[in-house]
Amino acid sequence: MSDASPPSRSFLGRHQFLIYRLFSLSGLVPVGAFLVVHLLTNASVLGGPGAFQSRVNLIHSLGPLLVPVEWAFIFLPMLFHATVGFVIIANGLPNVGSYPYAGNVRYTLQRATGMIAFAFILWHVIHLHWLGTPLGGGRFDPHHASSSTARALASPLVTALYAVGILSAVFHFANGLWSLGITWGLWTSPAAMRRASAVSIVVGVLLAAAGLGALGGMRALDVDAAVTIEKRMEEFKRLQEGTPPTPAAEPRGRAVSRRSEAADEAVRDGGR
Amino acid sequence: MIKAVDGTVTGNDHGHSAGGGGNGHAASVAERKPIRVRVLRQDVAGGESYWERFEIPYEPNLNVISVLQKIAARATSLDGRAVAPVAWDCCCLEEVCGSCTMLVNGRTRMACSSLVDKLLEEGDEIELRPMSKFPVVRDLVVDRRRLFHSLERVKAWVPVDDSYDHGPGPRISPEEQQDAYPLATCISCGCCLEACPQFTKVETVQRAGETAESLEKRRKDSFEGQFVGAHAISQAMLFNSHPTGRMIADERLEALTSAGGIQMCGNAQNCVAVCPKHIPLTRSIARAGRAATVWAIKRLFDR
Repeated sequence: MSDASPPSRSFLGRHQFLIYRLFSLSGLVPVGAFLVVHLLTNASVLGGPGAFQSRVNLIHSLGPLLVPVEWAFIFLPMLFHATVGFVIIANGLPNVGSYPYAGNVRYTLQRATGMIAFAFILWHVIHLHWLGTPLGGGRFDPHHASSSTARALASPLVTALYAVGILSAVFHFANGLWSLGITWGLWTSPAAMRRASAVSIVVGVLLAAAGLGALGGMRALDVDAAVTIEKRMEEFKRLQEGTPPTPAAEPRGRAVSRRSEAADEAVRDGGR
Repeated sequence: MIKAVDGTVTGNDHGHSAGGGGNGHAASVAERKPIRVRVLRQDVAGGESYWERFEIPYEPNLNVISVLQKIAARATSLDGRAVAPVAWDCCCLEEVCGSCTMLVNGRTRMACSSLVDKLLEEGDEIELRPMSKFPVVRDLVVDRRRLFHSLERVKAWVPVDDSYDHGPGPRISPEEQQDAYPLATCISCGCCLEACPQFTKVETVQRAGETAESLEKRRKDSFEGQFVGAHAISQAMLFNSHPTGRMIADERLEALTSAGGIQMCGNAQNCVAVCPKHIPLTRSIARAGRAATVWAIKRLFDR
């Protein structure tokens, strides 16, 4: 190993400082900023399926630009952050057993939650965003934002996995915020670090409340009522734009109502 | 002192009556269980390590160095075999030279300021291991060349190494002195490096028939690109705050932003927690981070 040229002379060695600083920055912008927007958008479901649907409609008003924007500002920065993160984790040697100080516990948790959040996000994106049911849960339908999400989260196991994933991502972001301030030299004295830590905790608690609130809101949702509202909103949008009904959206809605009719029948049968 | 010893004795489960006065105190010390010590030994650099147990009679107010001295005087293991005395490093015995760092009960500490009466509160047996982040030379003696190599990398000195008369140095305000003094108390003990999860061991073992020059060159190469560590970052900040030392501030920042520099810090903050001199290492690290930020931006736009 020592016969090879020293790691400091390789491309990654020569640009290590820049790469690690970009890693630190990407955790805040755009990845962290996206997390905040995402969790707050989700939490809008607590204001009813209509509130959530209108926010989703706003995002989807990007139309064909949505996919490139997603890749440029969310997926690629996230993959960069995760790749460098895994290199950092691989080079570290956690020792929280010998030195169980609060800072060291946070250092270890930062790495653990990073890995959990990465695995969670991978699963979350593939099942809710791309593939749907093969990976458990269901697929997100932007025309039926609340009802499709509520159906995907119907299983208690899926909800539990989401709770773990959300809390991991939130801890990673909040603690990363504190750590980032030291890395860039924003807070330097121990007192300033303590104040920054308090602010990070508040940010973390509020974000966790938003994330778990959204999860609870989705589970508490009356799916049939949500479908009605969403269909009405879609109809209204269509009338506004003057476009004919999209063939993709129609059968989905019908399938839902058919299912809910069947459920209603089952309830009535049970009552008899 | 006597009061402290009495406190430990009465806290013990021997439960003798306190009526004996001076004699009672002497008897209670003799009554105490002998001190058991477990040492992780290694005969040669790069060799296998093994545990060996020792026992010495209890005495109040011992430190780990005096325990090692008593073990050396007997050179007999717990199972009665005559063994080579345990090798260790020490010099000043007052937390100034920084040479007796070892893992006492699993934690990095100075052996000289590790008091046995306190250690016995942690458990019946005292465990001694060499530092885990530096190559073992023998038993508890480690090779800390990398620690000093890091100080060379960041040029932790004031560059006035010539015979020319530069006249009186610039004045330093009392505020600046107050700020710098704690950093100047660093004893290069390596505790901050031992406890750092980002600082990992680098060992170069001599090959069969290898010359000392070749080994030394390989060793120096192996340090390149490895994390410099909290002590070097703090010393770089100390000399960058000094009016004369500041003259090569950019060279230090260049070193701190090269491979293995400040960016390797993971903010676990163990360094500041274990530092025997209570040096504000994380403040130095954050200041170095700020200086590196400014320096990187300047370099980007000024060239």
